[in-house]
Amino acid sequence: MNSSRFFLAGVLCMSPLASEASPFAPAALPQATNNQAALIKQSSIVFVGTVSQVAATSFTGVLKSAQTIVVRVDSVLKKPQAVSLKKGDNVTVEVKDPAAFHEGTQATFYTEGWIFGSGVAVKELGHDIPPSGGTSAAAETGEKTVGQVQSEISDQDLQRLLATCDYVVIGRITDVHPWVIPKSAAPRYRTSEHSANWHEAVLQVQSVLKGAILKRNKMIVRFPESRDVAWASAPKFEPGQQGIFILKKDQVSGAPTASSGGYKGDVYTCLKPGDWLPMTAEARVRSLLKNR
Amino acid sequence: MSALVGYSTRVVPLAVLALTAGSFFVGKQSAPSARAPEASAHVKVVDLIPASLSGETNQDSEPFLAVQVANPQVMVASAFTPNPISSTGNAPVYVSEDAGNTWVLSAITPVQRMTCDITHAMSIGENHPRGDLHAGTLACAASITLDESESDDVSSSAVMNVQSSRTNVDQPFVRALAFSNVDHIYIGLNDLGQSSGRTATVDVSLDGGASYKSYSIESRKTMGQDGPSVRPAVAPDNTVYAAFFGWRKFNGSMATSDVVVVRDDTGATGSHPFQALKDPSDKLPGRLVVKRVSIPWSNAPTLGQERIGSTLSIAVDPNNSSTVYLGWADRGRKGDIYTLHVRRSTDRGLTWSKSDLPHTTISNATNIALAVANNGTAGLLYQQLSGGRWVTHVVQSRDAFATMQDTILATVPADRPVGQFLPYLGDYDYLLSVGNEFRGVFCANNTPDRANFPQGVTYQRAADFNTVTLTDGSGNPVAISIDPFYFSVPVMP
Repeated sequence: MNSSRFFLAGVLCMSPLASEASPFAPAALPQATNNQAALIKQSSIVFVGTVSQVAATSFTGVLKSAQTIVVRVDSVLKKPQAVSLKKGDNVTVEVKDPAAFHEGTQATFYTEGWIFGSGVAVKELGHDIPPSGGTSAAAETGEKTVGQVQSEISDQDLQRLLATCDYVVIGRITDVHPWVIPKSAAPRYRTSEHSANWHEAVLQVQSVLKGAILKRNKMIVRFPESRDVAWASAPKFEPGQQGIFILKKDQVSGAPTASSGGYKGDVYTCLKPGDWLPMTAEARVRSLLKNR
Repeated sequence: MSALVGYSTRVVPLAVLALTAGSFFVGKQSAPSARAPEASAHVKVVDLIPASLSGETNQDSEPFLAVQVANPQVMVASAFTPNPISSTGNAPVYVSEDAGNTWVLSAITPVQRMTCDITHAMSIGENHPRGDLHAGTLACAASITLDESESDDVSSSAVMNVQSSRTNVDQPFVRALAFSNVDHIYIGLNDLGQSSGRTATVDVSLDGGASYKSYSIESRKTMGQDGPSVRPAVAPDNTVYAAFFGWRKFNGSMATSDVVVVRDDTGATGSHPFQALKDPSDKLPGRLVVKRVSIPWSNAPTLGQERIGSTLSIAVDPNNSSTVYLGWADRGRKGDIYTLHVRRSTDRGLTWSKSDLPHTTISNATNIALAVANNGTAGLLYQQLSGGRWVTHVVQSRDAFATMQDTILATVPADRPVGQFLPYLGDYDYLLSVGNEFRGVFCANNTPDRANFPQGVTYQRAADFNTVTLTDGSGNPVAISIDPFYFSVPVMP
């Protein structure tokens, strides 16, 4: 058993969810409005800032227009880890309604990333202007609200995976072997750097959390062993690996059934990051399935 | 001015010259000798990662570059760089409007999140002075999809317009040529949907990408397919060459391959393009420059952390289309993992140098890229695994590499960072000539260490060269990763 590979698979599977994890405690905070929740879900970058220039840009590489304004960041509420953005930075915002902003306007900006250069340029998805023009208080409230909603988004992503799959099972991999491509599927397989190098994992099912009852507690999971860029984020499996498997019927390999070691039947795939989760996620998965 | 500028660390190349000088001239039969630090005085090396993405740790491998010839201040570069903020957003490219001094990341490709192959060219046939970009991209989800697409203005940040699309192809490689007021586009690719097994293909558009026709350029029997790399080269007189690996046998780990060159003298405008060059042995289109070489195929870390199997380049003299250079890698020397070779033809591909040009049989190296400057100087970019380091060279020669100038752009540890996927550095890099410069891109370990960049380097992202540490712009350390680097090297006079 190769624990480092398990760790890597876990990291790959969990990272998109982890990136959404909230650094803020959700308890005892004011509820976000539905509109805010939707905006936060759509937004990649949320910040509170003060407009310093209108019809302007903050760095070369962004075309200036009547819709672009420069906003000085007062506090950052949500951003990807890769993005450098902090209090005091100037951000170019392409706004929907330039008339809503003038120098000195403070608002919470819900945005999506646009251009990244010596600075950040974003496109406005929405904004909130505090009625009293409060500054730090507005930032604090916004920060807490976003934190609360970010946690929900994380669950929503997982919920989406759970909703669109055919099976959710807890199990352990007992065997992994290369998939021998049948003649019927062979014409679609030629040599390329992007070849998936399909392998089959025999999954001993311990419990079914979603899906029809299995006749045998065994499933075949076909997965790309290739480390090529095309398949790098797909979970990889090894004998002994245990966890929660979020499975779809195979619609990728060209031969959706298998006959292996006494098993005959449908083959399943588990291709997206998050389609395999460690056992530590069991309670969360059960809870999400229960609340569907 | 952006507040982020304050934390950018720039290393002035001239200051580094005092520490290292990586250029030297080699006599015909001699070992590296006289240093020529003056040659590096104008070398420019720039890490493409923008300051506002200083926290990123992606493996931004497999770079490519396009230059707007009419306005060479404008360039577009690419790599396996994901959309930095969204898994459903468009994959980005790097855009420079100041000759490569600064770059912004703009998400304009038609592919979601990240391409799994991208090349591009900028042409000047149509009046799009802000950058008329033609790209070939692969999207890799459940199936592999090629998009052939165009942007009329790369600075507009508008998503590229997809003009043609199909599945089951590999390694699109784009070249473009202005012809009158129209852009001619040539995309070499391995069309794995060709049932004949003659998969080496060039997609040709004679109307700026509005329509494409596919031409198989393999005229011989294959083992079921050709090798992945199919490389066009275009000359202003409308001569188009293309090189490919004609796979005759393949056992899963070794291909027995011919290295083949085809030619078209009218920009592939005729009814039977790419048949101008026939081999004397069988009278079939496609000159067999070398026959039955053994090319190792390994889709696993083999040359250091890099995979190997298909590196190929062809370049034509822009002012004399009779002169053409061809480079490839195979297992040419016993004990070598991968050996580069360069040959030359001066009669439009009819005959070729019978052996490698001097100094161009290069051990344990990959990512060969050739270009020819306006004054006839040949340029050769490659990356060699040497002494546990990846060493990136640009070699220039006016006499078919009998004598040459070798400029080392980077020498970085080969064992760090640990690869996230393959390719580690890329299945290719790129070199082209613009006026009196060779410009290009390569990928390397991004440790901010002056000793790793003998010609100097400029980082846009936050870096502390004193402590040899990347930071996120707020002072927090960031792990090293693979970054794309742009370079410009003066053409030898």
